[in-house]
Amino acid sequence: MVKFERVLDKATRRIFSRNPVLADKLGLTAKGIGRVTDTFLKTWMGKTGLIIIAFFIIVAIYARLFVEYDRYETGQYVALLDMCWEHPFGTDNMGRDVLTRTAEGTEASLIVGFAAMIISMGLGTIVGMASGYWGGWKDEVIMRVNDMFLSIPWLVLMMVLAAVLETRSLWTVIVVIGVTGWSTTSRIVRAQVLSLKERQFVERARAIGAGDGYIVTKHIFPNVVPLVFANAILTIAICILSEATLSFLRLGPQDVETWGHILSEAYDQSVMLNGPYAFIIMPGLCIVFVVLGFTFVGYAMDEVLNPKLRQR
Amino acid sequence: MGKPFRRILARRLFNAFITILLIMSLNFVLFRMVPADPALLMMKRDPQTPMSVYWRNVEIMGLNDSLPEQYVNYMIDTFTLEWGISYTYREDVVDVTKAAVGWTVLLIGTATAFTFIIGVALGKIAAMKRGKASDITISGFGIFFYGMPVFWFALVLLIIFAGWLSWFPSSDRMEPGTHLFPLSFDKIIDVIEHMVLPAATMTIGALAGIILIMRNSLVDVLTEDYIVTAYAKGLSGREVMKRHAGPNARLPIVTTLAMDVAFIFGGAFQVEIVFNYKGIGWYTIQAIWNSDYPMCQFIFLIGGVAVVVANLIADLVLVKLDPRVQIT
Repeated sequence: MVKFERVLDKATRRIFSRNPVLADKLGLTAKGIGRVTDTFLKTWMGKTGLIIIAFFIIVAIYARLFVEYDRYETGQYVALLDMCWEHPFGTDNMGRDVLTRTAEGTEASLIVGFAAMIISMGLGTIVGMASGYWGGWKDEVIMRVNDMFLSIPWLVLMMVLAAVLETRSLWTVIVVIGVTGWSTTSRIVRAQVLSLKERQFVERARAIGAGDGYIVTKHIFPNVVPLVFANAILTIAICILSEATLSFLRLGPQDVETWGHILSEAYDQSVMLNGPYAFIIMPGLCIVFVVLGFTFVGYAMDEVLNPKLRQR
Repeated sequence: MGKPFRRILARRLFNAFITILLIMSLNFVLFRMVPADPALLMMKRDPQTPMSVYWRNVEIMGLNDSLPEQYVNYMIDTFTLEWGISYTYREDVVDVTKAAVGWTVLLIGTATAFTFIIGVALGKIAAMKRGKASDITISGFGIFFYGMPVFWFALVLLIIFAGWLSWFPSSDRMEPGTHLFPLSFDKIIDVIEHMVLPAATMTIGALAGIILIMRNSLVDVLTEDYIVTAYAKGLSGREVMKRHAGPNARLPIVTTLAMDVAFIFGGAFQVEIVFNYKGIGWYTIQAIWNSDYPMCQFIFLIGGVAVVVANLIADLVLVKLDPRVQIT
């Protein structure tokens, strides 16, 4: 075990050799990993969340590798069956198996969640750091733009953007969700940077002649990351919800199967009044559980990475 | 208190104005990116229509002007309340949506009031019984509903209360064919019956956030020294809650409610669409499906302005409630 730790330590030190503070903050030194996983796994939220996410990742991989499925092949089974042994989720109005469709939709949800999160977190962090560090009129200008993005009802902006793009692939939808969601992050990051900027260690670095670039990458950024990191996982949940909503409104990706799309078809058939209810309940429950999984992990991460905020 | 209230007010107003200008500019840019030709969309879908109609449309809409000219004209039109003519209804967008705004405000108002009252009460219980069964139940409920898509929850309520039990009507804001005026008792009952499910969806959807924030901020406050002092000088639990803990814990709620206005809008849109409740959200999605761009533009504008104004009000309320808040 000790040997393993030493190897791990060496490896992480090499990877993070240019940024040891960051490695430490993220708990990526061997000691850190032990500490983080320990605390993380001790919380029931972290454990449950990880199990849920792992389950859906396995489903997505399984569906991609082993399930042969064609969205456009209709009439395979009797239409609108309720739950039964052959079709645990029932069948849809075109005679397709809802369980198969739901499994196929898993991948899109997860990809949108991760990719849109990276876009919105990246934008938010860069904008927030720039605005907080520069200060002055540049900060003013950036903050007004930020306010604009905060004020626009997100759903309307997304709907309009999605409508403006005539053909929507998975990736255009990801960009739309990512670009509309960064403003809260940049607010948080800016506030943190404003307080960091005044701390002594930054002043000391400047006193020994460190440039802006050095201070930002070596001192400001590592202290912002833990805050952003916990937030990022919660953002995945929000991005997945956004995608489901867009798809439900028929503004989602057209090239892949998604859960929101299944629900939208069910709605068009008035399934909620005439049944089979499984057609609505099951894909919806999948959304709820994925979102719940990421929310749990996000909360658990927050407790581990930002111990100051730990509940008293 | 640092700056006098009037200076804070002036600065906030100025910022809000700049934000609104930016929203208008984005609105202009977005709808210039639309691939469709507005002059063509404005025409009746009839191959007999002569091309001269098309060129007249181009002339009227000023599509031959340069972009800066169009921008200036757009800004002038917006400030003089000329908000365009809907392609689908061929009427001024304001006339089309006038009634819808009222219905949406009614729905949002009802839902927000219930959310606030129930959320604060439940959050208080959870915080006072921290770690006990009732706290875990309430917080668990909060987290569960936090991650629920509003439109799906609306569908579930429809399944239970309209499909299965048939207690409430499943769509529309009143019995079809009836009008609100002249008002009568039966009609009010009808309106309420139609509003129960949409308002319940929105309330329960938004409740989660409020409960969690109220609980956490109250837990924070309850561990402060001055609460211990309050107990030590012999105040009862209820007195402490009323005079010391409550007012402080409520502050984040004001901020959250304001920050959430955009999200409340989003929720209202989804609910309106699922329940066919003909408010602003319903008109928005119809406009988007029908490529009715003036309508989209108009809704985009009023939505943005509404949020800016709500944020402004919340900020000022916060300054009044909490003298420690320093607004730069």
